[in-house]
Amino acid sequence: MIDNFIKNYLNHPKTYDEMFLNGDNYRNHYTNFINNFSKESLENLNKKEELAKKLFMSQGITFTVYDSGEGIEKIFPFDIIPRIITSTEWLFIEKGIKQRLKALNLFLKDVYSNQFIIKDQIVPIDVIYSCPHFLREMHNVNVPHDIYIHIAGIDLIRDHDGTFYVLEDNLRTPSGVSYMLENREITKRLFPDLIPQCGVRSVTEYPALLYKNLMSLSPRAVSNPTIVLLSPGMYNSAYYEHTTLARLMGVELVEGRDLVVKDQKVFMKTTTGLQQVDVIYRRVDDDYLDPLVFNPNSVLGVAGLMGAYRKGNVAIVNAVGNGVADDKAVYTYVPDMIRYYLNEEPILKNVPTYQLSNRDELEHVFANINTMVIKKTNGSGGYGMLMGHAASEQETEAYKIEILKDPRNFIAQPTISLSSAPCFINGKLAPRRIDLRPFALNGPDGVSIVPGGLTRVALKEGSLVVNSSQGGGSKDTWVLTS
Amino acid sequence: MLSRVASSLYWLSRYVERSDGMLRMLKINYASSQDTIQEFTWKPVIRIFSSDDEKELLNIQHDSRAVIEYLLLNRENPNSILNIVTLARENARSVQEHIPKDLWQCLNEYYHTVKDEKLLWYVQKDDPITALDILIKQVMLYNGTADSVMERGESRSFMNIGKHLERSIQSIDILDIKFSSISSNPDLLTDISYWKHLLLSIGGYELYLKTYRQGFDAKNIIELAMLNNDFPRSALYAMGNIERYFNRLKSESNIEHYNNLSFKIGRLKSMITYSSVNKMNEAELHSYLTEIRSELYGIGNLLNEYYFANS
Repeated sequence: MIDNFIKNYLNHPKTYDEMFLNGDNYRNHYTNFINNFSKESLENLNKKEELAKKLFMSQGITFTVYDSGEGIEKIFPFDIIPRIITSTEWLFIEKGIKQRLKALNLFLKDVYSNQFIIKDQIVPIDVIYSCPHFLREMHNVNVPHDIYIHIAGIDLIRDHDGTFYVLEDNLRTPSGVSYMLENREITKRLFPDLIPQCGVRSVTEYPALLYKNLMSLSPRAVSNPTIVLLSPGMYNSAYYEHTTLARLMGVELVEGRDLVVKDQKVFMKTTTGLQQVDVIYRRVDDDYLDPLVFNPNSVLGVAGLMGAYRKGNVAIVNAVGNGVADDKAVYTYVPDMIRYYLNEEPILKNVPTYQLSNRDELEHVFANINTMVIKKTNGSGGYGMLMGHAASEQETEAYKIEILKDPRNFIAQPTISLSSAPCFINGKLAPRRIDLRPFALNGPDGVSIVPGGLTRVALKEGSLVVNSSQGGGSKDTWVLTS
Repeated sequence: MLSRVASSLYWLSRYVERSDGMLRMLKINYASSQDTIQEFTWKPVIRIFSSDDEKELLNIQHDSRAVIEYLLLNRENPNSILNIVTLARENARSVQEHIPKDLWQCLNEYYHTVKDEKLLWYVQKDDPITALDILIKQVMLYNGTADSVMERGESRSFMNIGKHLERSIQSIDILDIKFSSISSNPDLLTDISYWKHLLLSIGGYELYLKTYRQGFDAKNIIELAMLNNDFPRSALYAMGNIERYFNRLKSESNIEHYNNLSFKIGRLKSMITYSSVNKMNEAELHSYLTEIRSELYGIGNLLNEYYFANS
């Protein structure tokens, strides 16, 4: 039965497939999995898929889509076949991400204080000052242990020859870690005994690591500091993740309306009165954090929060103003930052990127627009992108006009043929494009990365966009011990 | 504990308890509607569970399936089980990290069960009791889970206060409405099925038979519903629990607020304990029940002021 599956699996041309080499030869590190998997009948696999859906639904791992006044519960699509990473690949990724984070953190410290990197003309001044996420309010603010990036979700992709590239550095409020944890829980139910048999490294220590780092940031020297997770509330699409993390760490989940600032200190409103808050792990964007400093219409934030933060009375995670480091125009300079701050060669490659504010590069991109992906520098979630190879002529022309209005807002990258992995779709194995988001935690003891991450899948046939808002799903991600 | 969290816990518990009371009411009334030669009226049920002025509702008062559908599944009816359970779940969702994961899953499943289209089919085309039983089982699961896994702390105290407050308000509403029908129709005093029905509605039929051997008597029924401390739906039992769980909040409270509310709860408990309900006539009973109800609302309001609105 399953042999048929494998025989009928068609690799995309010129694409690196994570499981299959060619025809029915698979990569060595999938052997254990395939030996087990091939014992399952089609009926069983369909049942497993059903079970996965039921588990997500009954545990409320859902997000709500509001349509004509009625909330509809949706689950984030999950593919039952895990994505497997070898220990050698993982060592490489780990080293690369640690190096990159170290440099990016130094960059943030520098750009909000002495700005040596600008004075030494490594990064042009206008690239930084034109970035909407560069916040002057952060200038000379002392953050605990000089850590700006506590949590990063750096997106990696693989090209047709299997080389890893960094696609984006998500250094503000990266999400998805709860799916890394839940996907693993679901796999344990779907394939009993398989995880120990295959030698898959555990991801469960993530909440404990994060909690330890948050504790170490408390500005008050008390044995039991108050740590809160600040969420925009239950109508946010990542609310499930906020509650999961709060529960797993045993910290209070708060909304802006639960907090108040008095004498430049932050308090939460409790049944007994006000209780001082020491560390805020916020899942609210910079713009909405404090209506007195940023967006005055925000009801998600807390008036006076920035004052308390600047005064050093509360720690905010991730630091405010990190957006200047994961801006897509600044991205181009990350390899230079690594050379400048660390005197090392970058381990992980950048995807070649054209700055459209540069005349020559703009012309080159326009001439080759069919092979390009064009993105907004401050965009995210896969919105507002132009996929050159798939867009109609009209779309392309309209997009060009947009670009010419403000070229600084756009970058272009050659279309990368993302690696594919087999997915169980309508009773068949079919290749779908994937990426990888490992979650790195940065604390006073250094950077640690839980072995695993979120593998996002572009579930639409032929699609290269993995974002969940664009019809993406996810897979459990296994890192093998050897 | 955050004020917002305390409020959500209290309300989630009230909503679940309310849905439980409604489901049992619907089940008993539907069963009686199948066991009568006269035209069965749902008027008292409609009066308890929706606002009085809904005239069009009274048009369907003899159509059991239509009434059940309205009270169970109507989206426009703010007090339908569907909407109440949705509210209970929304409250639970916003305090997920304060209740055990098992309990959250119970509520989540309760919600998904209410939204299951199969229920409507049972109500419209098949046996409505099956639909009610499916839901009643969900509440039982919830209550059992809450009892066996909830940490004995502040969260549970707020939830139990909400639960017993809701339960006592419901019992009093049922008594009040049932006895006021008697004043307009004295024949009911000797109607055995009327009394049986009342006792079933408050879940006290079996206990009544064991306690009182001489048949149905209005005074005994009131005594059971108000003063029997072994009856989990009596007003006195509920007050005892409200007092007990409120006392546990003492160390977590602002002391002045605590004393005020403690006084009010104690006073109401005494008012119930030392009343002579079994000697009252209908008019006295009505004004007595009205007073107790307003005291219960008063306790709810003070909880809101002292514990939930802290800012």
